[in-house]
Amino acid sequence: MEKNYKNIIQESLRNKKANYKEIRIEETVSTRINYNGKTRENVSINSHFGGSARSMSNGGWGFTSFNEIEQAPTKMNESIELANFSNNPSFKIHSNSSKKISLPAELKKDPRSITLSEKISLLDHYKDILLKDKKIQGCEIVYGDTERKVIFADSEGNEIEQSFIHVILRIAANSSDGNDLLQSGFSIGSLGDYSIVENLDEKVLECTKKSIDLIKAPKITGQETTVVLDQILAGVFVHEAFGHLSEADNVYENKRLQGILKLGKKFGNSDLNITDGAKIPNLRGSYEYDDEGTPSSVTPLIREGVLVGRLHSKETASKMSEAPTGNARAISYAYPPIVRMTNTIIENGSNTKEEIINDTKDGLYVKNWYGGMTEHEMFTFSSAETYKIENGEIKETLRPVKLSGNLFTTLKNINGIANDLEINQGGGCGKGGQSPLPVSNGSPHIRINNCLVSSG
Amino acid sequence: MEKIENLLKDQFEQHEIYEEENEYKSISFESNKLKELSIKQSKGFAVRAIKDSGLTFSSSSNYDLDKFNSNFLELSEYPTKTNIKFPKKDHKENNAKIYSGDEFLLENHFFIDKLDSNIKKILKKFPDALCDAEFDLGLGKSFLKNSNGLNLKSNESGISFFISAQTINGNDMLNIYSYASSVKMIEDEIINSLTRKLIENLSIAQNIKETPSKGCPVIFTPHGLYQTILSPLLVSFNGTNLSKNLSKLCNKENEKIFDEKITIRDNPLIDFSPSSRNYDGEGISSQINTLIEKGKFITGLFDLKTANEYKCDSTGSAVRSVHTNTFPSTSNLIMDAGDTHINKMIEQIDEGILVDHLLGAGQGNELSGDFSANISLGYKIEKGKLVGRVKNTMISGNSFKALSNVENISIENENVYGSLQLPFLQTSNVEISS
Repeated sequence: MEKNYKNIIQESLRNKKANYKEIRIEETVSTRINYNGKTRENVSINSHFGGSARSMSNGGWGFTSFNEIEQAPTKMNESIELANFSNNPSFKIHSNSSKKISLPAELKKDPRSITLSEKISLLDHYKDILLKDKKIQGCEIVYGDTERKVIFADSEGNEIEQSFIHVILRIAANSSDGNDLLQSGFSIGSLGDYSIVENLDEKVLECTKKSIDLIKAPKITGQETTVVLDQILAGVFVHEAFGHLSEADNVYENKRLQGILKLGKKFGNSDLNITDGAKIPNLRGSYEYDDEGTPSSVTPLIREGVLVGRLHSKETASKMSEAPTGNARAISYAYPPIVRMTNTIIENGSNTKEEIINDTKDGLYVKNWYGGMTEHEMFTFSSAETYKIENGEIKETLRPVKLSGNLFTTLKNINGIANDLEINQGGGCGKGGQSPLPVSNGSPHIRINNCLVSSG
Repeated sequence: MEKIENLLKDQFEQHEIYEEENEYKSISFESNKLKELSIKQSKGFAVRAIKDSGLTFSSSSNYDLDKFNSNFLELSEYPTKTNIKFPKKDHKENNAKIYSGDEFLLENHFFIDKLDSNIKKILKKFPDALCDAEFDLGLGKSFLKNSNGLNLKSNESGISFFISAQTINGNDMLNIYSYASSVKMIEDEIINSLTRKLIENLSIAQNIKETPSKGCPVIFTPHGLYQTILSPLLVSFNGTNLSKNLSKLCNKENEKIFDEKITIRDNPLIDFSPSSRNYDGEGISSQINTLIEKGKFITGLFDLKTANEYKCDSTGSAVRSVHTNTFPSTSNLIMDAGDTHINKMIEQIDEGILVDHLLGAGQGNELSGDFSANISLGYKIEKGKLVGRVKNTMISGNSFKALSNVENISIENENVYGSLQLPFLQTSNVEISS
């Protein structure tokens, strides 16, 4: 940011009394290039700038957001007045040693150094590959890069400035069987590395082939069956099946759920290890400080099948008397930070993918993803590719499927974890109206028994 | 904005400037306690300009206008092809009531007390429940001006009420919610009836019942009907997909595609309905659009660009914000009621399911109308009565097939999300698995 906001930030934090105060000022510049059907539909550069003030008083929160930064001191006072409406038991916010630090964006190949013309020419090239086969009716290409600069300061003495540059690309080919429209695609992303969108000709061509293969593929009927998940879909699975329930804002005010999700309780077999951490470098969910100024960490969640940790904001860590993990994140200045995942991973097991497939008599090999959702212990996620497994061999292509499960049974039904961990950075996470938040998730191939599956 | 307008006048054949100023207030309870009050203000602008049949778009909430102009000129080298003409001042004077604004003058305690008293009603019946509840209020001003003489100003307001309750028995977690929204304050009678209904549903749902066998009759509540069947179906009515030949409805206007019991209209002119608008995001006068009339496909929903590509007129369905280019979308969706009382529909069933909420809807191949999701809230019907809740159960099917042969539609209809007015519907063209 060009201007120096130090004085206005200090003035905002000096004013009225509250148990805790924080201010964020943020500037984003995004480039978006979209194709739909057979044509380029949109090229835009959108820039946004604003700030927010949040305070805690009487055990409750007040939050204000605004576009005119000069209003920050007034808006901070307003947030304190709003917080004072609460009359809850007071709690002490978790504080860490204060930092004054400015961190530049992590960069490998800076998308800002690539001209708009170069970006469009590369995407035009991918569009041409997708539309070359006459069986392809249309394509979907979404490219985006976003530069986000955030200044954070709080009443604990933290002053943290961070910058992030994200790159995303989704490419999909649409075909038709004369009745249904069928899509095959992939999504990728990176923190500060434009090179991930380059040299994708083979992958793009594969999309068209897979989309055409779907034309003759049959649908399955709903059933309980054994499924082998590739790394991408297993990453979505761990995010949905377990990750959301490890976010402490589900638990911190809920004594019954605290009993169910008690640290030390067994949730999976002894080869299951799950970790989340923004401190893991160079991934889309990576950062040094979260949106409450807490240093990031790597948090073991499940070790040898046993629940050992959860993800915290300052408030949830304080109220549960557990260590903060640096997982409070806001999608923009206009929202308060809430507990979110960062980079969520099932760690490598001891099998190979081949051993797992060979050992599966009858089931489905499910790959790639459309989406996923969680509601308490229930979750669903959907594959973008599905193949029949018969007597240990991958056979015919089927239409995509939706998978559904229950935290308490499905994690225990994982009975094969391969040693080929890969991270998927093509997704985003939605919670509390804040979507899509940059996250990554990863896993090796895994096998789940008795999974409820229906045609997607 | 003069600086931008001068650039647009000099460099482009047509231009349009959209500005928006919004204020939102939110009062929220979490786990039975007042958690947060917030006030959010936002403003920004979006510009579209056309030359040589190419459209350029950009938006900003950063009022560094020199930077905006230089970005806009760079973008204009890569325009989107279109032959649209921005509208002149329209003579059709719609007058739907879309603004109240009085709610913002009410004291915060007014809302806090209402949320608190409704949570207490739930806790009286379910003392261990954990309830979240929220009022959200919004005030918006928008300005739309184009080079063809259009100059429109609009004031809008909205308010919504949300309440949910969670109960836990063993490892079973149940969460039920209710929601209503309007342009003006939601009447106490509606809020009380939502809370009463939530308590009734919570009571029935405490019993977990075995899922009925495949092929059982399925009734959808108005919410279940929207989430399961209508939401994927509407993808095919969207002008974006029709204009790209991605919709199954392309060039099938006036063909009978659905059961003749089905009539659906998109009506943006209902007083105090939260999705009402007198003109759309491009300044085209709003109109009632019939999507399906007695089973026949009548029209999709178009903005100027998609209408131009599909070779029809805009249906006045463009929506926009300062963050997005315009795109077509529904306003208030109204489905005609049927001729059977919902109680009668349930009474006639020996063993079946009443589907209310889904988990994971909308994450498959919606272009084909397919749906597949976990039934997160569905009631078992046994001998004509609701006897409990089904769990670990999935529903799948195709919206076109599900609506091609409908057994019953209820006389009663209910408001869903404030802008949908839908009946209960029974169809057997869906698959249940558990």
